[in-house]
Amino acid sequence: MKKIIILTPLIILFIISAFLIIYLLSDKNPNQPPSALLNKDVPNFESKSLYDENKIIKIENIKNKKILINFFASWCAPCKIEHPLLFEIKERYPDLYILGFNHKDKASDGINYLKKDGDPYNFVGVDSDGLIALEFGVFGLPETFLINENGKIIYKILGPITKDILKNEIEPLL
Amino acid sequence: MSSLIGFLSLVFAIGINFYLLISKYIFKFKNLPFYLFIRLSSLLTLLSFFALMYAYIVSDFSNYNVFQNSHSNKPLIYKIAGTWGNHEGSMLLWMTVLSIYSFFFSFTKNIEDSFKRSTLLIQAFIHIMFGLFVVLTSNPFLVNSIFVEEGLGLNPILQDPGLAVHPPILYAGYVGYSIVFSISIAGLFQNRDDEWLHVAKKWSLISWTFLTGGIALGSYWAYYELGWGGWWFWDPVENVSLMPWIAGLALVHSLMMIRGEQALIRWIVFLSILCFSLSVFGTFLVRSGILTSVHSFAADSSRGIFILLIFFIITGFGFLVFLLKEPKKSYSLKLLLINKASALVINNILMVIATLTILLGTIYPIIIEVLNNKRISVGGPYFNSTVIPIMIPGFLLMSVAPILSWQTNKIKNSKLYVLAFIFLSVAVLIQSFYLTFNTWGFIGILIGSWIILASIIAIFFSYKTKLNIKFFQIINPHVAHIGVGIAIIGITCSSVLKSEFEFNLNEGDKFEIYDTKILFKKIETKNEINFQSLRAKFLFDLGNKEIKEIQAGKNYYPVSKMITSEAGILHQWYRDIYFILGDQKNDQWFVKVLINPFVSFIWLGVLIMIYSGLIAVTRR
Repeated sequence: MKKIIILTPLIILFIISAFLIIYLLSDKNPNQPPSALLNKDVPNFESKSLYDENKIIKIENIKNKKILINFFASWCAPCKIEHPLLFEIKERYPDLYILGFNHKDKASDGINYLKKDGDPYNFVGVDSDGLIALEFGVFGLPETFLINENGKIIYKILGPITKDILKNEIEPLL
Repeated sequence: MSSLIGFLSLVFAIGINFYLLISKYIFKFKNLPFYLFIRLSSLLTLLSFFALMYAYIVSDFSNYNVFQNSHSNKPLIYKIAGTWGNHEGSMLLWMTVLSIYSFFFSFTKNIEDSFKRSTLLIQAFIHIMFGLFVVLTSNPFLVNSIFVEEGLGLNPILQDPGLAVHPPILYAGYVGYSIVFSISIAGLFQNRDDEWLHVAKKWSLISWTFLTGGIALGSYWAYYELGWGGWWFWDPVENVSLMPWIAGLALVHSLMMIRGEQALIRWIVFLSILCFSLSVFGTFLVRSGILTSVHSFAADSSRGIFILLIFFIITGFGFLVFLLKEPKKSYSLKLLLINKASALVINNILMVIATLTILLGTIYPIIIEVLNNKRISVGGPYFNSTVIPIMIPGFLLMSVAPILSWQTNKIKNSKLYVLAFIFLSVAVLIQSFYLTFNTWGFIGILIGSWIILASIIAIFFSYKTKLNIKFFQIINPHVAHIGVGIAIIGITCSSVLKSEFEFNLNEGDKFEIYDTKILFKKIETKNEINFQSLRAKFLFDLGNKEIKEIQAGKNYYPVSKMITSEAGILHQWYRDIYFILGDQKNDQWFVKVLINPFVSFIWLGVLIMIYSGLIAVTRR
């Protein structure tokens, strides 16, 4: 019994190392997990505006457009990192509809955050209970989806968008 | 030239350590000038580090690493800090700190020669592994193949005096555990009695103190530089420094038990191995770029695999020796309902559980992704709701633990303590109703002030020695706990009672926050050596004709085309007024103001802990 207890750290070490080595060898990019939704229709959603409860956005309203959907929150540190890039996208692709979802956040915090860092979104929807994120299969913040004119999800990235990702992966799709 | 010297001395340093290892275990040479070789190897590693630093100082862009991470028009301090502001240099710093520890350890007296040699050989082994890592995958001395006159610049967010010293101090903590690791492994190998425990105690205190300072500097930097108003974000990189810190705290406490002749030697060995393993694991997680974090370092999977291998060898070796060798001497434990030994055992268990909880939260996303190819993220809410409740019983125990007896269940002056606790609870309850009542706020303030009160009572009652160094050594545990109490109050108040204000202001506008009058004087732009600054100046009327100026704004770094935000903070002892300058819209500036009550208590508490760590080192 005593031996087994003393053996435990070694067993844990083996398990952790095994996971890490599989992870490293699988060449996974921590920012790009696969998505079950890729190439599927964008889920239906309906959401109030963060600024004005009477304004509502539905997926029908923005069909036939390319849409970038970005889930963010004021408490999410990596969201702040990618935030300036959203402005860059907005400037270069004025036709692209950028839709933000303020995820599991207090509305006042979300508004403050966008006031302070600026608001790059065409519309900011509220997802305070996380139900919309659930539909999209959001794992963590920030998470960004690109939807084509036919309403199909063509790209998804978890974690902050970086300059490289923008240049090599998102721009070719725009 | 300096790069060549640096590279060669690094290779020689590794070679010497390699020679020492094989000459000991293969050729079995005797009469080798062992200590001379160890010190020489340490000094060569140091020379190599200084050679790199020199290349940074003179902006020698023929060195590829300098070219990538420096720029000629940077202030000297950031040229120096640039040495470790990148992956390669930072790994060389890691090795340098390892060598410095070996160097000083080689002068330790009061321990047997063969034991000292074994310890240093284990250090040499670690040096070789990391040395190979640096030379083969992360060489900071590569030659730049093109001729350039200017470098690419250091990440502006790192251009800050606090952050310049943060990595060396943090590493002094992390890598210091290598000595503790080597001592306890050597202790097992040589089958010693407990003499090594006293040596281990000193070094573990040194490492823990440095680690405390390093973590505090990092979070202080996050507080004023990142401009998010917070100081702890449960970021993976913060977590990996917190784990060895908590495990190290458990180690320091379990080493105290030697004084009561009730030490659990196996447990101490386990913690020594755990601390250093967690340090190396932290190095792996940060340097492999496997986790996304605010510390966005370059990811390279071949490097990751190499450090993972080092982590596996060191930890595996440590725990294998732990499994096979049994310590010779053992003490019996006298666990009563409430005596010192049981309090320390409970505290150790809680700390290890907290460490494992953080470990689980930190690597959980990786495990889940390997298992079912899905990504989840674990953030603040998980850690706050798991780690804090685990720590609360420990905090309560902490308030009285130093006055408990080793042998009996009795507490001196126990009635006084009970009375004081009841009185304090009522006082805090009343006070918290006057402010807005908040359960966590109540618990935090009560625990913090109770720890302080109980420790002060203990200092007054238990000791009546003269005011000399011995007195400070004796009351040191209480002082350390007062530091923790103060920090708990600071943490609680700054997170529970903070308030936010927003303004859209024109230059010259006056506004008020609570009863403080503030004038938004003007916006100023300036060209500094390596950046352009935009500053909003605010004047505070603090009454009594005292006027203070605070500047908040942004810096633009043309070399890297980055903008950093610079918060302006008015420090008052009971609160920080924290200014963030937003964007300009319709000629008005958006200004956000956070009132963070009692933040200074966090830093004061940490300073007291560091002081007390230093005092503890002096005690035998």
